[in-house]
Amino acid sequence: MNAASQADAATSVDASDQLRAQQWGFLARVLSGAPDREVLDALGGLTGDGTALGNAYDVLAQTARTTSEQEVRREYFELFVGVGRGELLPYASFYLTGFLNERPLADLRRDLSAMGIARAEDRHEPEDHIASLAEVMAGLAEGTFDAGALGCGTAGEAGFFARHLEPWVTQFFDDLAIAPSARFYRPVAEIGRIFTDIEMRAFELARDGRRPAMGVAAG
Amino acid sequence: MPQQVLRLAVVGVRYPPANRWATGQTRPVAVMADVPALEPGAPMTRQDGAETVYLGDFALVLHSGETRHYIDNLQAQQPSVWVAMIGDTVQLLTVDPYEGEALAGDVERVVEALPMPPQTMARLQQFVADHHVEETFYKRKRKPATSPDDPRAPRVLSDDEKWVQSRGRAGHPGGKAR
Repeated sequence: MNAASQADAATSVDASDQLRAQQWGFLARVLSGAPDREVLDALGGLTGDGTALGNAYDVLAQTARTTSEQEVRREYFELFVGVGRGELLPYASFYLTGFLNERPLADLRRDLSAMGIARAEDRHEPEDHIASLAEVMAGLAEGTFDAGALGCGTAGEAGFFARHLEPWVTQFFDDLAIAPSARFYRPVAEIGRIFTDIEMRAFELARDGRRPAMGVAAG
Repeated sequence: MPQQVLRLAVVGVRYPPANRWATGQTRPVAVMADVPALEPGAPMTRQDGAETVYLGDFALVLHSGETRHYIDNLQAQQPSVWVAMIGDTVQLLTVDPYEGEALAGDVERVVEALPMPPQTMARLQQFVADHHVEETFYKRKRKPATSPDDPRAPRVLSDDEKWVQSRGRAGHPGGKAR
């Protein structure tokens, strides 16, 4: 990830949003299914700077270079599919209530339908899967989705994040980092943890009416 | 999954038709561990029209996954070999009592539980000793929400809670490892 230029204020917001969209897109890609060789090669070419996020990307690139497609696929199976269940259940409903397909999913579906977003036909995971939430966040950052229609203090990107991701996403990435089978996904968890932390603080700053430090999110 | 094949000789009795419209019937009456040097269908004795014939030697396949059933058979007062016949042909030999019982459900079939020869019993005991994996029965129950231990599923599944294949080739190759 390139460091975003913060020199020009007018373009830096757009550029940082673009980079945030890329970050969310990256999380959506690796959490929705095991990355193939092409993606692994692309990840292997990344270099980070000295920040915590940059270091996590260095570790990820190192792991992506040394691992095979087959191993990652196996790991993804152990973590998220499994026999009976995987090591983790990456659903908002499970993290918030202890059970799948509970009210948090219903709330999310209502909000998504208000935003005009629907699950793709070939996708069978419930919408509260971490990957689909990351994809929605990517769309919101990029501007392809609009969360303006949501009410009850959840309007906008920050509201969507606060309502559907903030209560559990930190816990999820912590769990992913300590899952017994996680190897390639350990740096992914680290990146997710740091990135969502930055997002959380940025949204908080934006809400407090100060200048949002979103350039930091680009890492 | 490890298997072992034993050859057993089966002796049957051919009963003549009870009336002119009926057909005769053949029933298995004995199994022998030693295969005699006889052609299948060779007559042995004849008494009151009922003819004892040698039906031939047949495979008895022991499966390592069924050892629990074999133990139940061996613990019975009279361990048995179930011989299933359709018409004049022997269809299947089994020492799994539950399979034998299931076979007997078909009215077309003649199924007899015949005394197991001592040699076969010894080989079956050896097979069980080699391959039996004791599995304790675990009844899953729903925990009430007020239970002191959290009734919710664990957030991260640890390795010892995972399902593992404990039988067959992917599990313990020798069938004995625990």
